[in-house]
Amino acid sequence: MRRPKTSSTLVTLAVSLLVAGVASAGLGAVRVPFASVIRALLHPADAGDAGIILFTLRLPRVIAAGLVGAGLSATGVLFQGLFRNPLADPFVLGASGGAALGGAIAVFLVPTMSIAGIGATALLAFAGSLLTMAVVWSLARAGKNYAVENMLLAGFAIGTMLNAASSALELGKEASNPGMRILTAWLHGEVGVPSWTQVLIITVVELAALVLAIPLARQLNTLALGEEYAEQLGVRVGQLRIMVVVIGSVLTALAVSLGGLIGFVGLLVPHVLRIILGPDHFRLLPAAALSGAMFLIVADTIARTAFAPTEIPVGLLTAFIGGPAFLYLLNQKKRSASL
Amino acid sequence: MPAAIEFRNVHFAHGKRAIFDDMSFCIEEREMTALVGPNGVGKTTLLKIVAGLLRPTSGTVLLQGRALESWSRRELSCYAALVPQHLDVPFAFRVDEIVAQGRVPHLRRFAGPSARDLEVVESAIKAVDILDLRERAYSDLSGGERQRVKIAIGLAQQPKVMMLDEPTQHLDLGRQIELMGLLRTLNQSGITIVAAMHDLALVRENFSSVILLMPEAVSIAGPTAEVLRPELLERAFLVDRSSLGRHVSAESFTYERGNRYER
Repeated sequence: MRRPKTSSTLVTLAVSLLVAGVASAGLGAVRVPFASVIRALLHPADAGDAGIILFTLRLPRVIAAGLVGAGLSATGVLFQGLFRNPLADPFVLGASGGAALGGAIAVFLVPTMSIAGIGATALLAFAGSLLTMAVVWSLARAGKNYAVENMLLAGFAIGTMLNAASSALELGKEASNPGMRILTAWLHGEVGVPSWTQVLIITVVELAALVLAIPLARQLNTLALGEEYAEQLGVRVGQLRIMVVVIGSVLTALAVSLGGLIGFVGLLVPHVLRIILGPDHFRLLPAAALSGAMFLIVADTIARTAFAPTEIPVGLLTAFIGGPAFLYLLNQKKRSASL
Repeated sequence: MPAAIEFRNVHFAHGKRAIFDDMSFCIEEREMTALVGPNGVGKTTLLKIVAGLLRPTSGTVLLQGRALESWSRRELSCYAALVPQHLDVPFAFRVDEIVAQGRVPHLRRFAGPSARDLEVVESAIKAVDILDLRERAYSDLSGGERQRVKIAIGLAQQPKVMMLDEPTQHLDLGRQIELMGLLRTLNQSGITIVAAMHDLALVRENFSSVILLMPEAVSIAGPTAEVLRPELLERAFLVDRSSLGRHVSAESFTYERGNRYER
């Protein structure tokens, strides 16, 4: 098993991500040629009408899609390392659902604080995600291992609760209610067009979370030998677990507040990368962030242009690709467990 | 010279159930010691106590004359390596990536391995003779190959003491003999070996001393020939002396696979 070099892989991914972002910004009802997008980026003041489209509509959305994809994929790597299981994706485990539920509660209870910026929504989304992970954790833990079934059932239960709660929140609200609109978008998994302030704040927090996660990735490699073995080799497993869950919950909450429930990204991207790069989490984490961003930018571009003028939620697309991939992995897991 | 491992009146209980009571013994440096006794008597527990994974309920454990509690996690991981009975690794981690984890106790927290660390990993892989497996996925290996990888992780820790939990289990006769040869070589290079063993013939041939753990009695430690006597084995394994037969005779080694001593 020869593996490509980390540095060249990361450079290739970063360049492809930039190209995908620029190309995506040019696509839509009004086409802006690739070169013009670059010109507009370099000289925003002289960009004219194209500039208005790019800077108010396209670029915030492209960046939002990138942030969502990067966050979900990186969380996938972290949770898969922690649970030692390729199925552990924030959507499958219910962390995304918990975040959406928390966020929805904020949207309805304290709408003034939440609709303009990220404030209460993001905080409650984080709380929802963290709480879900704590529940999943205690349910999934059976002795020294994690029962896959419990993990998946916990995710299922949280998802059902989310649906019920959001239906309850819908009652008595008119369709024109802004909270209602946000909730619908979240449940479908639609990437919105955030304000630049929102983009800036989320970018900074997400980058910080990713940087903090990098040293944990090495410890996740040791954890692959099992919790007790990692302990024997000097890893503080309890601390590692808390840090991974907190950072994963931050990333999930940010992704959900931008794009709602977009499933399977955290499962699909790390799985493909593992085939190419191998399972080393230290290599996987930055690669997953870059590829996840690229994957979701491409998927979101397809979602908003393929059936123009109708937009389909990108969550539907990822579900159609990710669902079968999930079933495939589940089947593999079942086979290896029965050996 | 202080003993590599010393237990003084160690008591260990799991919940209310006492696993062992008042356990005392010494393992000298460079000794090759087998832990022998029926299933459930506490062989694995004993090894985990030395590895710092379990804490005795009462009593004292001394390593090189120093109380176990005063060893930092890192010092302990560099002194005593525990090679577990089972190691399952998710994902397709390569053998060299797995063995490199043995360097973790020597690294600064969050740091990666240096060139020197990679050399140690390399020589650990060489020492157990798995150079040709280094780029294979651990999950694809056979039982005998996995056993060698596990020992290589232990060697990468550069320990003074290597503890192995039933290292010959599930290995065929040829692999068992090879493995014992490897352990003897490591022992001759200066590593104290402590292994939980079921096969008394292998113990008799390869180990210099034995600790016989008895259910409901004081354990007995000493040179192999003195400890593996019919009257003691009879009590340890709760079997009739006449059925012990070939397991106690020093001359005939009849190998048989499976768990003969399963209660």
